[in-house]
Formats: sequence, C-alpha cells, structure tokens
Amino acid sequence: MTGRFPEIDIDPHPRFGVYSAGNLGEVAPQRLSPMSWSLVGTPMERGTRRLVRNVWGERAWAQGDHYVFLGYFGCRPYHNLSAYAHLSRQLPRVRPEDVTAAYFEGVESPPSAAARESRLGKAAAVPRLVRELGRLGPTLRRLEEDVYVLESLARTAITLRSEAGLTETVLKAADLLDDAWAAHIVTTTGLVPLTVLQRSLNDRVLGRYGEVEPYLNRPRELVWSRLHRFAGGDDLLPGEFLDSSFYEVADDRLPWQPYAVRHRVVAEGTAHSSGVLDPAEAQWGMLGKTRGRIVKSLARVVGETMASREHSKSLVMRLLHVHRRVLPHLAAAWNTDDDLWPYLTIEEFRRLYREPGLAERVPARRAAVESALRTPMPEHLDMTGGVPRVWADDLPKKARGVSPGKVTGVVVHAEDDFPEDVPCILVCESADADVAPLLGYVDGVLTQRGSDMSHIAILAREYHLPAVVGCALVKELKPNDMVTINGTTGEVYVEQ
Amino acid sequence: MSVLVLGGSGYLGRAVCLELEGAGLDVVALSRSGSAAAGRGLRGDVTRHNLGLFGDELAELQAEVTHVVGVFGSVDWDSGPAQALDVHATGVRNVLRFSRACPKLEALVHVSSLLAFGRAEGRVGNRELYVGQDFRNWYEYGKYHAEALVREAEDLPFTVLRFGPLLGPDPAGHALGAGDGLLAAVPYLLQGYPVHLKHGGRFPSYVGDVVGAAEVVAAAVRTPATGATWTWFDPALPTVAEVMHRLCRPWGVVPKIVDSAVVGRVQRLVASRIGLPKALLDYAEPWFDLDPSVMDTLPGGPPACRPGYLAGTGRALLEPEADLQGSFT
Repeated sequence: MTGRFPEIDIDPHPRFGVYSAGNLGEVAPQRLSPMSWSLVGTPMERGTRRLVRNVWGERAWAQGDHYVFLGYFGCRPYHNLSAYAHLSRQLPRVRPEDVTAAYFEGVESPPSAAARESRLGKAAAVPRLVRELGRLGPTLRRLEEDVYVLESLARTAITLRSEAGLTETVLKAADLLDDAWAAHIVTTTGLVPLTVLQRSLNDRVLGRYGEVEPYLNRPRELVWSRLHRFAGGDDLLPGEFLDSSFYEVADDRLPWQPYAVRHRVVAEGTAHSSGVLDPAEAQWGMLGKTRGRIVKSLARVVGETMASREHSKSLVMRLLHVHRRVLPHLAAAWNTDDDLWPYLTIEEFRRLYREPGLAERVPARRAAVESALRTPMPEHLDMTGGVPRVWADDLPKKARGVSPGKVTGVVVHAEDDFPEDVPCILVCESADADVAPLLGYVDGVLTQRGSDMSHIAILAREYHLPAVVGCALVKELKPNDMVTINGTTGEVYVEQ
Repeated sequence: MSVLVLGGSGYLGRAVCLELEGAGLDVVALSRSGSAAAGRGLRGDVTRHNLGLFGDELAELQAEVTHVVGVFGSVDWDSGPAQALDVHATGVRNVLRFSRACPKLEALVHVSSLLAFGRAEGRVGNRELYVGQDFRNWYEYGKYHAEALVREAEDLPFTVLRFGPLLGPDPAGHALGAGDGLLAAVPYLLQGYPVHLKHGGRFPSYVGDVVGAAEVVAAAVRTPATGATWTWFDPALPTVAEVMHRLCRPWGVVPKIVDSAVVGRVQRLVASRIGLPKALLDYAEPWFDLDPSVMDTLPGGPPACRPGYLAGTGRALLEPEADLQGSFT
C-alpha cells in the first residue's frame, strides 16, 4: 500500500494508530463509496462517542477532530483497533483480547498508551453501561416505528416525485441513522463485558463453562426471519433492503458494484426444529433452582442483547436502503449528474442545493478513488509513525467453533443449488444476515472469516446449526466435497 | 442374517456379540479398537461420517447388513455436553444415515437407557420419553437425545430397548472397571464411609444382568421391528441398598447406608477430596416411578438374570485386573 489519498482518506488518529477491518471486513464490502462511508463510519463514530460520554463522561481520548473509533483509508472502512482495545480497558475484568476474540478474529491487540480509568471509574461505568443496555428495548421499538414512517414518507415522495418529500426524508433520516447506529454500538460494546461477566460467574457455577456457553447463548428469535418475508419488490417494504448490499448505497453502479456482491435470495427456510429438548433447557435442570436461575438470567440477557444487536443492524440497513432509493431521485430533482452523488458525503449532498459549487469537487475525488481502488489495502493497518504498515497478516487465525454441534455434509456455496438428499455445509468467505434464508436448507456453516460474535455466529446459534469460522481450508473446498465440522472444537475434516 | 453391532467391544457389546453368534448369526462388531469378542471385528467410529468407513469396505458392509444394533457409548455420568452429544446425537445421526443406505435392512435395534427419564415425575412407561423431566447429567440427556432422534426416524424399522444400570461378570472374561455408574460407589463403600441414601436405599435400582440384556437384544433382532420400545431390568427388582450390599459382600464389608440429609450434604462438600464422583450423589433419591407392566411387551416374557450376578460383580472386582480407579486397594 502507499500513502494517503487526501481527498478521501481521513486523518489517522495521532495516538490510536492501529486499524483493523475486523467485523466490518467480514461483512461489509471491501471498499465503500464516500457517500456510504458517511452513512456508516461517521454516524458509527458519533454513536461510539455518545456511548463513551454516557458511560465514562467527557474523556479527552474520545474527543477531538480526528476519527477515534473508525478509519477510512483507500476507500476501505476500518475500526480503530487501538481505540477499541483502550475502550476495553476502561471496564473491570475486560481485556483487549476479549474484544479481539469477539469481533476481530483474534488478531493481536495493540498496546495502549492512553491513560486508563481508575478502579473507581471502571466500577462506576458498570451501572451506566447497564442503564444503556436497559434503554435498548424502548429505543429499538421507537426506532422501528420511526423507520417505518420514514419508509412510507420515502415511498410517497418517490411516487409523487416530490422534491420536498425527498428532502424531508433525507433530513429526517439523519437523526434516525445516528440513533440506530448508537443502539448498535451499545449492543456491540455491551456484549463483550456481558460475556466476560458470564464466563467468570459460570466458571464457578458450572465448572465446565467453556463447553456449555454456546448452548446457553442462543437468541430465541432474530429479526431477520421476519424481514425476509418482506424481501423483494420495490415498494420500500421493511425487507426490501435484503436484495441489496448491506453497506453500499451505490451498489448498482460502478466502481462500487463489484465490491457489493450479494448472495442469492431464496424462499426462506425455517430454523431447524426438532422435537428434541434443547441442551440449554437440559442444563437449567441440572443446576437446581438458585444456580439455574442465575445462569439462565444471564444467558437470557446475553441472548437478548445479541438479538438487539441484529435488530439495530437491520434498522441501520433499512435506513441505508432509504438513502439508496431516495438519493438518485433527489439528485435528479436537483438536476445533478446521477454519477455524482456517490462521491459526496451525505453532509455535502444535503448542502448541494444551496452550494452547487460542491459538485466541482467530484472530478478530483473520482480520480483519487480510482487510484485508491487500484491499491490493495491490508486487513490490519498500522498508521503509527506516519508511514502506513501492515499490522498483522491477513491470513485467517485458528479455526474456531462458534455454534456447537458436529455434522458431516457436502460443500455448497450460496450460489449453488442445494442437494436435497444429503446434508449440506454452507461454505463461504464470510457471511452476513443475508444468508439467513439459506440456513434453513443447510446443516452447518463454515466460513473463512468470522469471530465469536460475528453475525453468522449469532445466526447459526439461532438456527441451531454447527458453525466454524476462521477456517483457512475454505478456499480449497469445492462443491460436493465432503467435510465434517465440529462447532464445539472448531475442527474441520475433509472426508475421503 | 448379518448383524452389525456398533460398539461391539464394549461391556454390553461383547455380551451381545457372543449372544448373537451363539444364535448362529453373522456378526460384525464395529468399534474404535476393532476388537471383537465374537464375530468379525471392524475398526470404525460412530461419531464419523459413514461410521469412519470408506470405499469397498463401506459398500460391502451396507450391501450385506440386515440388522444394525447400537450399543455404543460408555456410561460416563461426568461427561460434558460436547462429549455426550458427540456420541449420542452425532453418533446416532450417523447410524441413522448409515442404516438408510442399507438396502437389506430389516431392523435397527437402538439400546437406550431408563436414565433417559432423568428426574421424571409421575408414572412413566414404554410410551413416554420426555415428560418435562430434569436431567441429572449430560449422560442422561445424551441418552434421551439419542432415543428421541431414533423415534423421529419413522422411515426406518427400529426397536428401542431400555435398560437400567447393567452389572454382572463380563461373559467374555474381561476385567471390570468401577470408574463409572453405580460401581463407582464401591471403592467409597469399601473404605467404610457412611453413604446417604433416601429411605436407606430401599427404592428400585432397575439394575440388570448384562447377559440378560444381551438376550433381550437378540430377541429384538429376531422380532420384526415395528417402532416399539421395550424395557428390561432384573425382574427381581433389587433395591439400591440390596445391590450395594451384594456388591460389597465378597469383600466381607457391610456398607454403611444411612438416611441422613446432613450426611448427604457433607458428602457433597467433600466428594472430590475422597474420590467420590459428585454425579453419583444425584442418584441417592428414588429415580422415577416406572410402570410395573413395562416388561409385559417383551416377547416370551422377560429373561431372568444369572443367579448371583450381583455378588459375581463384586467378586469380579476382586480380581487383580479389575480397575478400582486408584482406590485404597
């Protein structure tokens, strides 16, 4: 990789210098247009800052003109690994390794130079974080209603070709997008200390917690199965976004289209159901009343937080889809070239009507983007010292089981026809909620990318499917190869 | 008839192989070790796809097998969920898949356990499996899970057999081990420690003789499979206290059995220090209420146990090769 592209890159943070594509790299397109970045990275940054402010108060390390928690280099979105590692140190018992295992595929965590919270500060943060998590339910319910109203507004504005309606949609979407990303950040951040607490407590109560944990932390119902009923069509129904790229709003045009590959959408399969009692239910009975109640309550909180994380993400994607549908119409209403808007940020686009000169920035930015897209960007990036370097190799780490169970089946890819008479293992580089409709037809999931809290890990647990992530073998597997995966140990065998 | 015995090198598996070969059947005993007390030994693994078999060996076996008997999985009350589900969920799924690929299959005989009832409340019989019970350990859940999977396989001709804890000298002459199951209490009792059993242990143990269990398996192989569930245990229905006394008698020891909740709590506190498996303590109360008529469905009536099989078990544990798991002996 080379140096910066001033027109599109952000300034690297002066103290938190190590970035990782991490969770974004698993599911988001490898490159995002400036418009998509401004709808993803910037509100996510605001949401994370809001969380830090609400939990720890005004902290110098989480403020300033630089992006603290996100990065955008060579059109690639990154999380600031140093900042998240530092954030983890502000809570009791939480280590940076817990964050990297949960969201960054176990990559080595960078050292932190910034000051840590005092013990008192760490302890005081806990009830505040609990309060934030407790607010999630009402927040998500409110957002669900508001996003539905916004979709209706956008639908009407597009139908009537109403410039005022389209403008109102974009303006109203801004606050909702901030709130939805903020809720997503609360769930994402909150899951790490919750699972650390759960591990610590259950180690004492259960003895062999590591073995039992994946059976316990299963969300009961995720939002995706509901949304997939509304997939397809062009009426801006809640599930319409499922036919599009999750993060890229300009996914139907070059140069962004190749980065925004979607899996095929099929009629929805249901979660594997059987009359057999779930192992988690069996575990409660083995514990007795008091211990069972403690373990069950905590597992329910973790499961609900996982479900809230997926819910908040679905709201974000619906809001991005509103932009995907509205922005071209609004650009046309303002007599602007249709190819122009993906190169602007949403803030610039909102000012476009009043400041037509903004459009003149686009040619230079387009050239910078073309140059950036020709430059390979690493998974993990060290920007300390002013010279960009690769932080850690891009190879998958040790394969990890993220949803328990063992299954043997033939390799299928998302775009294949699935055989009906043999068990199938869905094999893909990474997987997002868009594979949810496929999960009812397969018997296990194997991915090259992924972490303990990846979306595919949560989905596989909901569907009771064994899942292994971070497997380097994935590239070598061909359709109809027979593999056995063990979602408990992370072992993968290629059968003869 | 060609019978494939899965887990043929185990305690029950050996007895089943001897019984089936004695009845004139072709027996193939599949196990990880590949050893066989009778019939042909075959190395395989039920937790692997196609039972760990490949190519011609797999094809020939599937072509010839008429009966599959599943007696795999050791009695391990301390196993975790991964181990229990690996054997009893993955293993049974593999067996079901293998059985579906056998064109001559006449019956799948699945050996389950009465412990699949866990702490079931109310009277239970052959018809019931899940009645809202709690499970004491992952072994019980594993046995329940396996039986539930077999019952769901309505496309296969199967018979489910339920046994209680199996005892008795090994008919193949192998040394016994006292590491798991009820026998794990023996070293503890022999050391003279008091043991708490509700009602002084005067509740049914549902134990049976391993040879009698093998006779039931042979009967299931001979009888057309209709998806029935059979239950068998020692018709004399010895109590837990009686079993313990008879196991200890060859040693000249009378076990100190008391009905004292305090002793029970102390036992639980010091269990790991005195080598007593904690899982065993969960069986100190009556297990479940089993319908006495469950054995009426056995064709020809329930087989009897070998006379003195309980004392014989104790004597077998006296043998130098017996494994008492590092007890004072």
